[in-house]
Amino acid sequence: MDTITRRQFLKATGAGALGAAATSLTIEDIANAAITRPLPLNTPILVVVTLYGGNDGLNTVVPASDPLYRSLRPGIAYNENEVLPLSEGLFLNGSMTGLHSLWNKNQVAIVRGVGYPNSDRSHFTSMAIWQSGLLGAAKTGWLGRWVETQPQDPLLAISLGSVLPPLLAGTKRSGSVLPLGGLVVPSGSLASDCIKLSIESKSDNLLQSMAAQSMRDLFTVSGDITPILKSPAPATPDLPTAIGGNAGGETNLTQQLDIVAKLVAAGSPTRVWSVSLGGFDTHANEKGAQSVLLGVVSQGISKFMAQIRNTNRANDVVVLVYSEFGRRVKANASDGTDHGTSGPVFVLGPRIKGGLYGEQPSLAKLINDDLAVTTDFRDIYASLLEKVLGTPAERILGNWKGRTSFFN
Amino acid sequence: MASVSERRKIARLVHRFGFGPRPGEFNSLLTLGFDSAANIYLTSPSSDEFADSQPEPEVSDQGPRPAPNSSAVVAYATEKRAQLSALTLWWLDRMVLSEHSLRERMTWFWHGHWATSYQKVDDALPMFLQNLTLRAFALGNFATMARAMVNDGALIYWLDGQTNTIKAPNENLSRELMELFVLGVNRYTESDVRETAKALTGYRVNKTSGAVTFLPKQHFSGTINFLGTSGSFDGNSLSDFLVSRSDCAQFISERLWYRFISSTSPFDDRGLTAAFAQRDIAKLVQALGRHPALDDPTNSLVKSPIDWFVSVCRAFEITPSKFSNTALLRRYLDNLGQVPFFPPNVGGWPADQAWLSSSSAQYRIQFATALVKESNLSPISSLPESMRISALADLLGVAAWSQRTELALRGAIKDPQRLALLAICSPEYIVSA
Repeated sequence: MDTITRRQFLKATGAGALGAAATSLTIEDIANAAITRPLPLNTPILVVVTLYGGNDGLNTVVPASDPLYRSLRPGIAYNENEVLPLSEGLFLNGSMTGLHSLWNKNQVAIVRGVGYPNSDRSHFTSMAIWQSGLLGAAKTGWLGRWVETQPQDPLLAISLGSVLPPLLAGTKRSGSVLPLGGLVVPSGSLASDCIKLSIESKSDNLLQSMAAQSMRDLFTVSGDITPILKSPAPATPDLPTAIGGNAGGETNLTQQLDIVAKLVAAGSPTRVWSVSLGGFDTHANEKGAQSVLLGVVSQGISKFMAQIRNTNRANDVVVLVYSEFGRRVKANASDGTDHGTSGPVFVLGPRIKGGLYGEQPSLAKLINDDLAVTTDFRDIYASLLEKVLGTPAERILGNWKGRTSFFN
Repeated sequence: MASVSERRKIARLVHRFGFGPRPGEFNSLLTLGFDSAANIYLTSPSSDEFADSQPEPEVSDQGPRPAPNSSAVVAYATEKRAQLSALTLWWLDRMVLSEHSLRERMTWFWHGHWATSYQKVDDALPMFLQNLTLRAFALGNFATMARAMVNDGALIYWLDGQTNTIKAPNENLSRELMELFVLGVNRYTESDVRETAKALTGYRVNKTSGAVTFLPKQHFSGTINFLGTSGSFDGNSLSDFLVSRSDCAQFISERLWYRFISSTSPFDDRGLTAAFAQRDIAKLVQALGRHPALDDPTNSLVKSPIDWFVSVCRAFEITPSKFSNTALLRRYLDNLGQVPFFPPNVGGWPADQAWLSSSSAQYRIQFATALVKESNLSPISSLPESMRISALADLLGVAAWSQRTELALRGAIKDPQRLALLAICSPEYIVSA
């Protein structure tokens, strides 16, 4: 994200002061928060899965019976017998068996042709648009703005990994970050020293005040969840480094989801989780690399949903899966694809009415060799904000009318 | 005594245009005053006697990986790890030990600009060669640098240039060349991306050595149309053309502004793009170091993990390669999210707020705990307690401690290690205020 876009993204953070975060917490205050104030049962929870690099939508939700599909990308097209049937002549990538079985249970909504007007093919600009939920000069993330509509709680929105993704960035307050393996809180005299350092000082500038707050949050967040994370997360074998797979994101989605499952089960008062997987920038040798990655997405999510099914939160979780753009319809000479436009978005969970939504972009009516955008991504965000997070979409997305009706 | 504003300007100079002061350096610069300090700091001598006398890291062309189950594969993998480690420590040492740190600071800046990762390149030699190129041109002419980079094996391989052919161009390199390296986003069209990809055909990379060969027969020599021009182009002429555009001066000035002045304040030209008119990087850096924005208290920057680590090493006289456990050193940096030669993506590392998560706070404290044990703290411990807190500000190049931090430091005044740990984890040190 290290571009002018990111600068625009963070511009707002330079303007405001920190919110009402000045109270200094002690370990004693907070160590039991997850236990003393668990998320009320039946509160919907949103899990956002970001696929970094631009996932090739046409080889994810595959129009395998369309003769144009094979003639436009002969080297990297799938045959009908290699993919899993959905409906309307569409198929799921053959590696996505886990997600396919959820589809068969009517729990997967696939929104087709999702994007925004005048698609930008820069990873950074496009991801900034998706993560901000706004076109143009984005200053905050859509879920960061949501965090700011809520009472302050560092446990409200958590991203797995060590760096805050822009989607959780707010003007005054942002989501929190949880590294894999959990946080180790300093103890003893080091702790009392660090707590002294974490107090906000009048002379702090904005960034210094945020630095102090990050240390306060360390005590809040880790005190709450460290006991839950005692058992080590199962190790996952390293994913292959796909050629072209260099546009950001984490490599251990299964591990991230595993921790989210544990924390959701334990009652963490968290409404939004953010996880990610990188490697989708498949400019070369796409077929094998992408199917490995989609297999990880599918397996990780289906295992996660299975874990949640065994808890008293079985009906509460909604998962959103998106990427910053789809890819060009025609393959390049390296059996990969270059940056494109629209792609499918998955929304799944027991609250979701499974099926296909939006219009499949026609291969016969390409626009400059690219797929048309048939659904605006903000329709999906607006529906999720209202139905999962119970917040009027206008407060987050401005005056946006579109909705997608995938809720039961 | 220097005013707070003078101290802040000089602190910004040493932390942003260098990697922080070495013992005594901040005080000498204060004595000189900002103008003379800037004259010294912003002018890089042509050679750095100390750094140039350091042996080069032992990296070599390892050739292709032996078959998976062969006996040679273990030795190969061990050697591969050793080369990467040698390369990383060599560079960290240079950042810490160079007599004049502007050149290393700029090499580091350019590494984040032409962000190439070992993750995919997977061989130390091409990464080393790229690093030498970035250092050679770090303060030179940007046109020469850009030419060298479109011919750089690691960069071409990283962005799939070796699979870019006439029949179906791969646009990865051409897009990033315009978006992230030379012009900036939205200063070209999609059609320009497609056309310029053709100019970059015909380059083949030997993956393990980084050697690049240009194959005229594989190169598209026909006419391409882009950015209002047309003609036959190769990597060099394309690079020259892009660099000569006024958008390039604007973009490179903005990128330096973002890293050296503020990631949030809007770009304020005041002669910066003019200083870059001849694409002379040194001139642009000098203009930036004397820009009035450096005196504006709102333009604070968060030290990235490398900025933070290297500046601690310089102040406390730690040599990275002599760290008691260098594998652990790498793990700490990895936990903080920044390891040289491993930018997270082609856009380089994030800035400011991204480094201020609660997990960064945790890892910074762990790392600091290990660092102070290997530090030379005698400049502090030799002083009477009453002088330690202000001496620590001078040693670390901090403009002023807040009341909060001063109170925390006072509680640790008897224990130099604990004192040092708190100082380097304080908001005043984490942020270049």
